[in-house]
Amino acid sequence: MRPEELARSIKSLESSAADGALMAREVARDRTKATFARAHARELGEDVDHEAEKLNDADANGEVAARKAAAVELAGAISQALGQIQTAPSSESEGRSAGDALTRLGDRASRLSAGL
Amino acid sequence: MKTLLNIALGVIAAIGGFVDIGDLVFNAQAGSKVGYPALWAVPVGVVGIMVFSEMSGRIVAVARKPNFVLVKERYGPRLSTFTLIASLVLTVLTLAAELGGLGFVLNYFFDVSVGFFVLVAVLAIAAAIYFLPFGGIERIFGYLGLALFVYFAASIKLHPDWGAVGNGFVPEAHGAAIYWYFVVGLIAAALMPYEIYFYSSGAVEEGWDEHDLKVNRANAFLGFGLGGLLAVSILIASTQVLKPAGISPGSVGTTALVAEVPFGELGLLLAFVGILFAVGGATIDTAFSAAYNLAQHQGWKWGKRFRLLDEPRFALSLAGFLLAGFAIAQTGVDPIELTEYAVIFSIPVLPLTYLPILLVGGDREVMGRHVNGPLSRVLGWAYFALICLLALAAPVLFLVTNGGS
Repeated sequence: MRPEELARSIKSLESSAADGALMAREVARDRTKATFARAHARELGEDVDHEAEKLNDADANGEVAARKAAAVELAGAISQALGQIQTAPSSESEGRSAGDALTRLGDRASRLSAGL
Repeated sequence: MKTLLNIALGVIAAIGGFVDIGDLVFNAQAGSKVGYPALWAVPVGVVGIMVFSEMSGRIVAVARKPNFVLVKERYGPRLSTFTLIASLVLTVLTLAAELGGLGFVLNYFFDVSVGFFVLVAVLAIAAAIYFLPFGGIERIFGYLGLALFVYFAASIKLHPDWGAVGNGFVPEAHGAAIYWYFVVGLIAAALMPYEIYFYSSGAVEEGWDEHDLKVNRANAFLGFGLGGLLAVSILIASTQVLKPAGISPGSVGTTALVAEVPFGELGLLLAFVGILFAVGGATIDTAFSAAYNLAQHQGWKWGKRFRLLDEPRFALSLAGFLLAGFAIAQTGVDPIELTEYAVIFSIPVLPLTYLPILLVGGDREVMGRHVNGPLSRVLGWAYFALICLLALAAPVLFLVTNGGS
Protein backbone atom coordinates (compact mmCIF):
# COMPACT_ATOMS: atom_id res chain seq x y z
CA MET A 1 0.00 0.00 0.00
CA ARG A 2 1.37 3.40 -1.01
CA PRO A 3 1.21 6.36 1.41
CA GLU A 4 -1.26 8.26 -0.83
CA GLU A 5 -3.59 5.22 -0.89
CA LEU A 6 -3.48 5.04 2.89
CA ALA A 7 -4.11 8.80 3.10
CA ARG A 8 -7.17 8.43 0.84
CA SER A 9 -8.47 5.59 2.97
CA ILE A 10 -8.00 7.54 6.23
CA LYS A 11 -9.68 10.59 4.64
CA SER A 12 -12.66 8.39 3.91
CA LEU A 13 -12.78 7.32 7.58
CA GLU A 14 -12.49 10.96 8.64
CA SER A 15 -15.38 11.89 6.35
CA SER A 16 -17.60 9.10 7.73
CA ALA A 17 -16.80 10.15 11.31
CA ALA A 18 -17.64 13.80 10.51
CA ASP A 19 -20.86 12.76 8.72
CA GLY A 20 -21.84 10.66 11.74
CA ALA A 21 -20.97 13.48 14.14
CA LEU A 22 -23.15 15.91 12.19
CA MET A 23 -26.09 13.52 12.34
CA ALA A 24 -25.45 12.67 16.01
CA ARG A 25 -25.71 16.38 16.88
CA GLU A 26 -29.15 16.45 15.22
CA VAL A 27 -30.14 13.34 17.24
CA ALA A 28 -28.90 15.07 20.41
CA ARG A 29 -31.10 18.09 19.65
CA ASP A 30 -34.11 15.89 18.78
CA ARG A 31 -34.25 17.44 15.30
CA THR A 32 -34.21 14.31 13.15
CA LYS A 33 -36.26 11.27 12.21
CA ALA A 34 -35.28 8.08 14.05
CA THR A 35 -35.64 5.78 11.01
CA PHE A 36 -33.34 8.07 9.00
CA ALA A 37 -30.76 8.29 11.79
CA ARG A 38 -30.70 4.50 12.14
CA ALA A 39 -30.52 3.77 8.39
CA HIS A 40 -27.90 6.46 7.68
CA ALA A 41 -25.76 5.38 10.67
CA ARG A 42 -25.93 1.81 9.33
CA GLU A 43 -24.83 2.96 5.87
CA LEU A 44 -21.90 4.92 7.30
CA GLY A 45 -20.97 1.99 9.54
CA GLU A 46 -20.94 -0.38 6.57
CA ASP A 47 -18.70 2.03 4.62
CA VAL A 48 -16.29 2.21 7.57
CA ASP A 49 -16.25 -1.58 7.99
CA HIS A 50 -15.59 -2.01 4.27
CA GLU A 51 -12.71 0.47 4.47
CA ALA A 52 -11.31 -1.43 7.48
CA GLU A 53 -11.43 -4.69 5.51
CA LYS A 54 -9.59 -3.10 2.59
CA LEU A 55 -6.96 -1.70 4.96
CA ASN A 56 -6.60 -5.02 6.70
CA ASP A 57 -6.06 -6.86 3.41
CA ALA A 58 -3.48 -4.40 2.04
CA ASP A 59 0.25 -5.08 2.34
CA ALA A 60 2.37 -2.27 3.76
CA ASN A 61 5.87 -1.71 5.08
CA GLY A 62 7.58 0.50 7.67
CA GLU A 63 5.85 3.73 8.71
CA VAL A 64 2.91 3.04 6.39
CA ALA A 65 2.32 -0.35 8.07
CA ALA A 66 2.24 1.24 11.52
CA ARG A 67 -0.21 3.90 10.44
CA LYS A 68 -2.29 1.33 8.59
CA ALA A 69 -2.67 -0.70 11.81
CA ALA A 70 -3.69 2.48 13.65
CA ALA A 71 -6.23 3.22 10.91
CA VAL A 72 -7.80 -0.25 11.25
CA GLU A 73 -8.16 0.31 14.99
CA LEU A 74 -9.60 3.78 14.36
CA ALA A 75 -12.15 2.33 11.91
CA GLY A 76 -13.31 -0.10 14.61
CA ALA A 77 -13.84 2.78 17.05
CA ILE A 78 -15.76 4.86 14.47
CA SER A 79 -17.94 1.87 13.61
CA GLN A 80 -18.70 1.36 17.32
CA ALA A 81 -19.69 5.02 17.81
CA LEU A 82 -21.95 4.85 14.74
CA GLY A 83 -23.48 1.69 16.21
CA GLN A 84 -24.54 3.77 19.24
CA ILE A 85 -26.75 5.93 16.96
CA GLN A 86 -28.04 2.85 15.18
CA THR A 87 -29.04 1.24 18.47
CA ALA A 88 -30.69 4.31 20.02
CA PRO A 89 -31.60 6.76 17.24
CA SER A 90 -34.11 8.60 19.45
CA SER A 91 -31.92 9.01 22.52
CA GLU A 92 -30.62 12.54 22.96
CA SER A 93 -27.98 11.48 25.47
CA GLU A 94 -26.69 8.67 23.22
CA GLY A 95 -26.64 11.14 20.33
CA ARG A 96 -24.56 13.58 22.38
CA SER A 97 -22.14 10.87 23.47
CA ALA A 98 -21.79 9.45 19.94
CA GLY A 99 -21.33 12.96 18.51
CA ASP A 100 -18.51 13.75 20.94
CA ALA A 101 -16.83 10.40 20.27
CA LEU A 102 -17.09 10.78 16.49
CA THR A 103 -15.70 14.32 16.60
CA ARG A 104 -12.69 13.09 18.60
CA LEU A 105 -12.19 10.14 16.24
CA GLY A 106 -12.41 12.42 13.19
CA ASP A 107 -9.67 14.60 14.69
CA ARG A 108 -7.59 11.49 15.31
CA ALA A 109 -8.03 10.47 11.66
CA SER A 110 -6.93 13.92 10.55
CA ARG A 111 -3.74 13.68 12.64
CA LEU A 112 -3.07 10.14 11.39
CA SER A 113 -3.22 11.12 7.71
CA ALA A 114 -1.10 14.27 8.21
CA GLY A 115 2.22 14.02 6.41
CA LEU A 116 1.35 10.94 4.36
CA MET B 1 -49.87 33.11 -17.74
CA LYS B 2 -51.24 29.88 -19.27
CA THR B 3 -47.89 29.43 -21.02
CA LEU B 4 -46.05 29.81 -17.69
CA LEU B 5 -48.24 27.14 -16.10
CA ASN B 6 -47.50 24.68 -18.93
CA ILE B 7 -43.87 24.10 -18.13
CA ALA B 8 -44.28 20.68 -16.49
CA LEU B 9 -42.45 18.91 -19.36
CA GLY B 10 -39.42 21.19 -18.96
CA VAL B 11 -39.52 20.85 -15.17
CA ILE B 12 -39.64 17.03 -15.15
CA ALA B 13 -36.99 16.77 -17.88
CA ALA B 14 -34.76 19.23 -16.01
CA ILE B 15 -35.28 17.66 -12.60
CA GLY B 16 -34.60 14.24 -14.09
CA GLY B 17 -31.38 15.57 -15.56
CA PHE B 18 -30.06 17.97 -12.92
CA VAL B 19 -31.15 16.51 -9.60
CA ASP B 20 -31.42 12.78 -10.17
CA ILE B 21 -29.95 10.41 -7.58
CA GLY B 22 -26.37 10.77 -8.85
CA ASP B 23 -26.51 14.54 -9.26
CA LEU B 24 -27.94 15.04 -5.78
CA VAL B 25 -24.77 13.50 -4.40
CA PHE B 26 -22.43 14.79 -7.15
CA ASN B 27 -23.53 18.42 -6.55
CA ALA B 28 -23.02 17.96 -2.82
CA GLN B 29 -19.57 16.44 -3.47
CA ALA B 30 -18.69 19.38 -5.73
CA GLY B 31 -19.67 21.72 -2.87
CA SER B 32 -17.71 19.77 -0.29
CA LYS B 33 -14.56 19.19 -2.36
CA VAL B 34 -14.33 22.29 -4.58
CA GLY B 35 -16.86 24.73 -3.11
CA TYR B 36 -18.06 27.92 -4.76
CA PRO B 37 -15.40 27.97 -7.54
CA ALA B 38 -17.32 25.11 -9.22
CA LEU B 39 -20.56 27.14 -9.43
CA TRP B 40 -19.97 28.57 -12.90
CA ALA B 41 -20.17 25.11 -14.44
CA VAL B 42 -23.90 24.85 -13.64
CA PRO B 43 -25.08 27.86 -15.74
CA VAL B 44 -22.76 26.77 -18.55
CA GLY B 45 -24.56 23.42 -18.65
CA VAL B 46 -27.98 25.01 -18.16
CA VAL B 47 -27.60 27.40 -21.10
CA GLY B 48 -26.42 24.46 -23.24
CA ILE B 49 -29.47 22.32 -22.48
CA MET B 50 -31.75 25.37 -22.93
CA VAL B 51 -30.32 25.96 -26.42
CA PHE B 52 -30.68 22.32 -27.51
CA SER B 53 -34.06 21.66 -25.88
CA GLU B 54 -35.53 24.82 -27.40
CA MET B 55 -34.19 23.69 -30.78
CA SER B 56 -35.50 20.12 -30.44
CA GLY B 57 -38.93 21.33 -29.21
CA ARG B 58 -39.08 23.71 -32.18
CA ILE B 59 -38.22 20.85 -34.56
CA VAL B 60 -41.09 18.81 -33.08
CA ALA B 61 -43.48 21.77 -33.36
CA VAL B 62 -42.57 22.34 -37.02
CA ALA B 63 -41.61 18.90 -38.38
CA ARG B 64 -43.22 16.55 -35.76
CA LYS B 65 -39.93 14.67 -35.47
CA PRO B 66 -38.51 13.59 -32.09
CA ASN B 67 -34.79 13.34 -31.58
CA PHE B 68 -34.17 9.68 -32.36
CA VAL B 69 -36.01 9.98 -35.66
CA LEU B 70 -33.49 12.72 -36.53
CA VAL B 71 -30.63 10.42 -35.47
CA LYS B 72 -31.97 7.68 -37.73
CA GLU B 73 -32.52 9.99 -40.71
CA ARG B 74 -29.18 11.78 -40.51
CA TYR B 75 -26.86 8.90 -39.55
CA GLY B 76 -28.00 5.94 -41.59
CA PRO B 77 -28.40 2.40 -40.25
CA ARG B 78 -24.95 1.62 -38.79
CA LEU B 79 -24.24 4.81 -36.86
CA SER B 80 -27.84 5.15 -35.70
CA THR B 81 -27.77 1.57 -34.38
CA PHE B 82 -24.50 2.31 -32.56
CA THR B 83 -26.05 5.49 -31.08
CA LEU B 84 -29.12 3.48 -30.06
CA ILE B 85 -27.10 0.77 -28.31
CA ALA B 86 -24.84 3.27 -26.50
CA SER B 87 -27.78 5.39 -25.37
CA LEU B 88 -29.79 2.32 -24.25
CA VAL B 89 -26.92 0.94 -22.18
CA LEU B 90 -26.32 4.27 -20.45
CA THR B 91 -30.02 5.01 -19.98
CA VAL B 92 -30.79 1.58 -18.47
CA LEU B 93 -27.79 1.91 -16.11
CA THR B 94 -29.13 5.30 -15.03
CA LEU B 95 -32.63 3.84 -14.65
CA ALA B 96 -31.22 1.11 -12.38
CA ALA B 97 -29.42 3.74 -10.32
CA GLU B 98 -32.63 5.79 -9.96
CA LEU B 99 -34.59 2.72 -8.81
CA GLY B 100 -31.82 1.89 -6.31
CA GLY B 101 -31.92 5.51 -5.13
CA LEU B 102 -35.69 5.33 -4.60
CA GLY B 103 -35.12 2.21 -2.48
CA PHE B 104 -32.64 4.11 -0.28
CA VAL B 105 -34.92 7.15 0.14
CA LEU B 106 -37.99 5.06 1.04
CA ASN B 107 -35.87 3.08 3.48
CA TYR B 108 -34.90 6.29 5.27
CA PHE B 109 -38.62 6.75 6.01
CA PHE B 110 -39.45 3.21 7.15
CA ASP B 111 -36.15 1.33 7.73
CA VAL B 112 -37.20 -2.10 6.49
CA SER B 113 -34.72 -2.97 3.71
CA VAL B 114 -33.45 -1.19 0.62
CA GLY B 115 -34.11 -4.24 -1.60
CA PHE B 116 -37.75 -4.39 -0.51
CA PHE B 117 -38.26 -0.71 -1.27
CA VAL B 118 -36.64 -1.05 -4.70
CA LEU B 119 -39.45 -3.53 -5.42
CA VAL B 120 -42.05 -1.11 -4.03
CA ALA B 121 -40.53 1.67 -6.16
CA VAL B 122 -40.63 -0.29 -9.42
CA LEU B 123 -44.26 -1.28 -8.80
CA ALA B 124 -45.24 2.32 -7.98
CA ILE B 125 -43.47 3.66 -11.08
CA ALA B 126 -45.09 0.98 -13.28
CA ALA B 127 -48.52 1.86 -11.83
CA ALA B 128 -47.93 5.59 -12.44
CA ILE B 129 -46.89 4.90 -16.03
CA TYR B 130 -49.89 2.65 -16.66
CA PHE B 131 -52.66 4.57 -14.91
CA LEU B 132 -51.69 8.24 -15.19
CA PRO B 133 -51.94 10.28 -18.38
CA PHE B 134 -48.66 11.75 -19.68
CA GLY B 135 -49.58 15.24 -18.46
CA GLY B 136 -50.47 13.87 -15.01
CA ILE B 137 -47.09 12.13 -14.72
CA GLU B 138 -45.30 15.35 -15.68
CA ARG B 139 -47.22 17.47 -13.20
CA ILE B 140 -47.08 15.09 -10.20
CA PHE B 141 -43.38 14.24 -10.46
CA GLY B 142 -42.23 17.60 -11.83
CA TYR B 143 -44.05 19.88 -9.41
CA LEU B 144 -43.69 17.73 -6.24
CA GLY B 145 -39.98 17.47 -7.05
CA LEU B 146 -39.90 21.22 -6.49
CA ALA B 147 -39.98 20.49 -2.72
CA LEU B 148 -36.23 20.46 -3.34
CA PHE B 149 -36.51 24.25 -3.11
CA VAL B 150 -35.79 23.59 0.57
CA TYR B 151 -32.14 23.69 -0.59
CA PHE B 152 -32.67 27.16 -2.03
CA ALA B 153 -34.06 28.29 1.34
CA ALA B 154 -31.19 26.46 3.10
CA SER B 155 -28.57 28.16 0.94
CA ILE B 156 -29.95 31.55 2.08
CA LYS B 157 -30.47 30.61 5.74
CA LEU B 158 -26.92 29.26 6.03
CA HIS B 159 -25.58 32.78 5.33
CA PRO B 160 -22.95 32.08 2.70
CA ASP B 161 -20.33 34.67 1.80
CA TRP B 162 -22.26 36.18 -1.13
CA GLY B 163 -19.09 37.78 -2.52
CA ALA B 164 -17.49 34.33 -2.77
CA VAL B 165 -20.72 32.92 -4.26
CA GLY B 166 -20.68 35.68 -6.91
CA ASN B 167 -17.01 35.02 -7.70
CA GLY B 168 -17.85 31.34 -8.10
CA PHE B 169 -19.87 32.19 -11.21
CA VAL B 170 -16.73 33.57 -12.89
CA PRO B 171 -14.63 30.79 -14.46
CA GLU B 172 -11.08 30.68 -13.21
CA ALA B 173 -7.85 29.08 -14.39
CA HIS B 174 -7.13 26.10 -12.16
CA GLY B 175 -4.42 23.47 -12.17
CA ALA B 176 -6.12 20.84 -9.98
CA ALA B 177 -7.55 17.87 -11.88
CA ILE B 178 -10.22 17.39 -9.19
CA TYR B 179 -11.58 20.88 -9.92
CA TRP B 180 -11.88 20.11 -13.63
CA TYR B 181 -13.39 16.70 -12.90
CA PHE B 182 -16.28 18.36 -11.05
CA VAL B 183 -16.61 21.19 -13.59
CA VAL B 184 -16.87 18.70 -16.46
CA GLY B 185 -19.26 16.49 -14.47
CA LEU B 186 -21.55 19.42 -13.60
CA ILE B 187 -21.72 20.57 -17.23
CA ALA B 188 -22.30 17.03 -18.47
CA ALA B 189 -25.03 16.34 -15.88
CA ALA B 190 -27.08 19.12 -17.48
CA LEU B 191 -26.64 17.63 -20.94
CA MET B 192 -27.43 13.95 -20.27
CA PRO B 193 -28.74 12.42 -23.53
CA TYR B 194 -31.93 10.96 -22.04
CA GLU B 195 -33.15 14.46 -21.09
CA ILE B 196 -33.27 15.63 -24.68
CA TYR B 197 -34.76 12.34 -25.94
CA PHE B 198 -37.48 12.55 -23.27
CA TYR B 199 -38.09 16.26 -23.92
CA SER B 200 -38.51 15.93 -27.69
CA SER B 201 -40.65 12.79 -27.45
CA GLY B 202 -42.69 14.41 -24.67
CA ALA B 203 -43.36 17.34 -27.00
CA VAL B 204 -44.78 14.84 -29.53
CA GLU B 205 -46.86 13.25 -26.73
CA GLU B 206 -48.28 16.70 -25.96
CA GLY B 207 -49.07 17.25 -29.64
CA TRP B 208 -47.06 20.45 -30.04
CA ASP B 209 -47.41 22.38 -33.29
CA GLU B 210 -46.37 25.84 -34.44
CA HIS B 211 -48.84 27.41 -31.99
CA ASP B 212 -46.82 25.92 -29.12
CA LEU B 213 -43.51 27.61 -29.87
CA LYS B 214 -44.04 29.95 -26.89
CA VAL B 215 -44.79 26.98 -24.63
CA ASN B 216 -41.61 25.34 -25.93
CA ARG B 217 -39.53 28.41 -25.08
CA ALA B 218 -41.12 28.65 -21.60
CA ASN B 219 -40.36 24.97 -20.98
CA ALA B 220 -36.80 25.22 -22.24
CA PHE B 221 -35.91 28.41 -20.38
CA LEU B 222 -38.00 28.24 -17.18
CA GLY B 223 -38.10 24.45 -16.71
CA PHE B 224 -34.37 23.95 -17.18
CA GLY B 225 -33.69 27.26 -15.38
CA LEU B 226 -35.49 25.90 -12.29
CA GLY B 227 -33.46 22.67 -12.48
CA GLY B 228 -30.26 24.73 -12.65
CA LEU B 229 -31.31 26.85 -9.67
CA LEU B 230 -31.83 23.68 -7.61
CA ALA B 231 -28.39 22.37 -8.59
CA VAL B 232 -26.78 25.69 -7.61
CA SER B 233 -28.68 25.72 -4.29
CA ILE B 234 -27.50 22.22 -3.35
CA LEU B 235 -23.92 23.16 -4.22
CA ILE B 236 -24.03 26.35 -2.11
CA ALA B 237 -25.70 24.71 0.90
CA SER B 238 -23.26 21.78 0.75
CA THR B 239 -20.31 24.16 0.62
CA GLN B 240 -21.63 25.76 3.84
CA VAL B 241 -22.42 22.55 5.72
CA LEU B 242 -20.15 19.79 4.43
CA LYS B 243 -16.92 21.52 3.34
CA PRO B 244 -15.97 22.97 6.76
CA ALA B 245 -16.70 19.60 8.42
CA GLY B 246 -14.55 17.70 5.89
CA ILE B 247 -17.46 15.50 4.81
CA SER B 248 -17.32 13.94 1.37
CA PRO B 249 -20.87 12.67 0.77
CA GLY B 250 -21.21 9.12 -0.45
CA SER B 251 -24.95 8.69 -0.12
CA VAL B 252 -28.12 10.69 -0.62
CA GLY B 253 -28.61 10.60 3.17
CA THR B 254 -25.74 13.06 3.56
CA THR B 255 -27.31 15.38 0.97
CA ALA B 256 -30.55 15.23 3.00
CA LEU B 257 -28.62 16.15 6.17
CA VAL B 258 -27.63 19.41 4.45
CA ALA B 259 -31.32 20.48 4.55
CA GLU B 260 -31.76 19.21 8.11
CA VAL B 261 -28.98 21.36 9.59
CA PRO B 262 -30.77 24.71 9.02
CA PHE B 263 -34.40 23.55 9.28
CA GLY B 264 -34.43 20.42 11.48
CA GLU B 265 -36.89 17.60 10.83
CA LEU B 266 -39.09 19.73 8.55
CA GLY B 267 -36.08 20.41 6.30
CA LEU B 268 -35.27 16.71 6.26
CA LEU B 269 -38.82 15.74 5.32
CA LEU B 270 -39.08 18.36 2.58
CA ALA B 271 -35.72 17.20 1.21
CA PHE B 272 -36.95 13.61 1.15
CA VAL B 273 -40.25 14.48 -0.54
CA GLY B 274 -38.37 16.50 -3.15
CA ILE B 275 -35.76 13.76 -3.64
CA LEU B 276 -38.44 11.07 -3.87
CA PHE B 277 -40.35 12.82 -6.65
CA ALA B 278 -37.26 14.15 -8.43
CA VAL B 279 -35.69 10.69 -8.51
CA GLY B 280 -39.09 9.19 -9.38
CA GLY B 281 -39.28 11.70 -12.26
CA ALA B 282 -35.78 10.71 -13.38
CA THR B 283 -36.84 7.04 -13.28
CA ILE B 284 -39.76 7.83 -15.55
CA ASP B 285 -37.59 10.00 -17.85
CA THR B 286 -35.09 7.19 -18.30
CA ALA B 287 -37.63 4.38 -18.72
CA PHE B 288 -39.58 6.35 -21.34
CA SER B 289 -36.41 7.57 -23.08
CA ALA B 290 -35.16 4.03 -23.56
CA ALA B 291 -38.54 2.85 -24.90
CA TYR B 292 -38.97 5.95 -27.11
CA ASN B 293 -35.51 5.54 -28.65
CA LEU B 294 -35.98 1.86 -29.42
CA ALA B 295 -39.46 2.40 -30.90
CA GLN B 296 -38.37 5.39 -32.99
CA HIS B 297 -35.31 3.53 -34.26
CA GLN B 298 -37.41 0.49 -35.20
CA GLY B 299 -40.23 2.55 -36.68
CA TRP B 300 -42.83 1.23 -34.24
CA LYS B 301 -45.95 3.07 -33.16
CA TRP B 302 -45.10 4.63 -29.79
CA GLY B 303 -46.35 6.94 -27.08
CA LYS B 304 -48.34 7.28 -23.91
CA ARG B 305 -50.92 9.32 -25.80
CA PHE B 306 -52.26 6.01 -27.14
CA ARG B 307 -53.48 3.15 -24.96
CA LEU B 308 -50.38 1.16 -24.00
CA LEU B 309 -52.17 -2.10 -24.77
CA ASP B 310 -52.75 -0.90 -28.34
CA GLU B 311 -48.97 -0.66 -28.87
CA PRO B 312 -47.70 -3.99 -27.49
CA ARG B 313 -44.10 -3.60 -28.72
CA PHE B 314 -43.69 -0.16 -27.14
CA ALA B 315 -45.47 -1.26 -23.92
CA LEU B 316 -43.39 -4.46 -23.68
CA SER B 317 -40.12 -2.61 -24.24
CA LEU B 318 -41.08 -0.06 -21.55
CA ALA B 319 -41.84 -2.93 -19.14
CA GLY B 320 -38.65 -4.74 -20.20
CA PHE B 321 -36.44 -1.71 -19.50
CA LEU B 322 -38.07 -1.25 -16.07
CA LEU B 323 -37.43 -4.92 -15.30
CA ALA B 324 -33.82 -4.71 -16.50
CA GLY B 325 -33.28 -1.65 -14.28
CA PHE B 326 -34.90 -3.47 -11.37
CA ALA B 327 -32.69 -6.54 -11.88
CA ILE B 328 -29.52 -4.42 -11.92
CA ALA B 329 -30.64 -2.45 -8.83
CA GLN B 330 -31.35 -5.71 -6.97
CA THR B 331 -27.72 -6.81 -7.34
CA GLY B 332 -26.97 -4.26 -4.60
CA VAL B 333 -24.73 -2.11 -6.81
CA ASP B 334 -24.19 1.37 -5.33
CA PRO B 335 -26.64 3.63 -7.22
CA ILE B 336 -24.49 6.70 -6.71
CA GLU B 337 -21.41 5.12 -8.27
CA LEU B 338 -23.53 3.65 -11.06
CA THR B 339 -25.03 6.96 -12.10
CA GLU B 340 -21.73 8.83 -11.76
CA TYR B 341 -20.12 6.32 -14.11
CA ALA B 342 -23.12 6.76 -16.41
CA VAL B 343 -22.68 10.57 -16.43
CA ILE B 344 -18.96 10.43 -17.17
CA PHE B 345 -19.23 7.70 -19.80
CA SER B 346 -22.26 9.26 -21.46
CA ILE B 347 -20.13 12.26 -22.38
CA PRO B 348 -18.49 10.55 -25.38
CA VAL B 349 -22.03 9.81 -26.69
CA LEU B 350 -23.15 13.44 -26.36
CA PRO B 351 -21.90 14.63 -29.78
CA LEU B 352 -23.88 11.86 -31.49
CA THR B 353 -27.02 12.94 -29.60
CA TYR B 354 -26.81 16.66 -30.30
CA LEU B 355 -25.44 16.88 -33.85
CA PRO B 356 -28.71 15.89 -35.62
CA ILE B 357 -30.62 18.59 -33.69
CA LEU B 358 -28.17 21.22 -34.92
CA LEU B 359 -28.28 19.98 -38.49
CA VAL B 360 -32.09 19.82 -38.71
CA GLY B 361 -32.63 23.03 -36.70
CA GLY B 362 -30.45 24.82 -39.25
CA ASP B 363 -32.06 23.21 -42.30
CA ARG B 364 -34.33 25.82 -43.95
CA GLU B 365 -36.01 23.17 -46.13
CA VAL B 366 -37.31 21.40 -43.01
CA MET B 367 -37.76 24.33 -40.65
CA GLY B 368 -38.93 27.07 -43.05
CA ARG B 369 -39.22 30.42 -41.29
CA HIS B 370 -38.52 28.72 -37.93
CA VAL B 371 -34.95 27.81 -38.92
CA ASN B 372 -32.23 28.58 -36.32
CA GLY B 373 -31.58 32.31 -36.03
CA PRO B 374 -28.07 33.76 -35.68
CA LEU B 375 -28.04 33.40 -31.86
CA SER B 376 -29.25 29.76 -31.88
CA ARG B 377 -26.75 28.95 -34.63
CA VAL B 378 -23.75 30.50 -32.88
CA LEU B 379 -24.65 29.12 -29.44
CA GLY B 380 -25.54 25.71 -30.89
CA TRP B 381 -22.22 25.24 -32.67
CA ALA B 382 -20.24 26.73 -29.75
CA TYR B 383 -21.88 24.22 -27.41
CA PHE B 384 -21.31 21.42 -29.86
CA ALA B 385 -17.58 22.27 -29.84
CA LEU B 386 -17.65 22.32 -26.03
CA ILE B 387 -19.40 18.92 -25.96
CA CYS B 388 -16.69 17.46 -28.23
CA LEU B 389 -14.04 18.87 -25.89
CA LEU B 390 -15.81 17.35 -22.87
CA ALA B 391 -16.03 14.02 -24.68
CA LEU B 392 -12.23 13.97 -24.90
CA ALA B 393 -11.54 15.31 -21.39
CA ALA B 394 -14.03 13.32 -19.29
CA PRO B 395 -12.50 9.81 -19.42
CA VAL B 396 -9.00 11.23 -18.83
CA LEU B 397 -10.12 13.26 -15.78
CA PHE B 398 -12.01 10.26 -14.45
CA LEU B 399 -8.84 8.17 -14.50
CA VAL B 400 -6.51 10.91 -13.21
CA THR B 401 -8.74 11.78 -10.21
CA ASN B 402 -9.71 8.18 -9.46
CA GLY B 403 -13.36 9.05 -10.02
CA GLY B 404 -13.17 12.34 -8.10
CA SER B 405 -12.06 10.76 -4.85
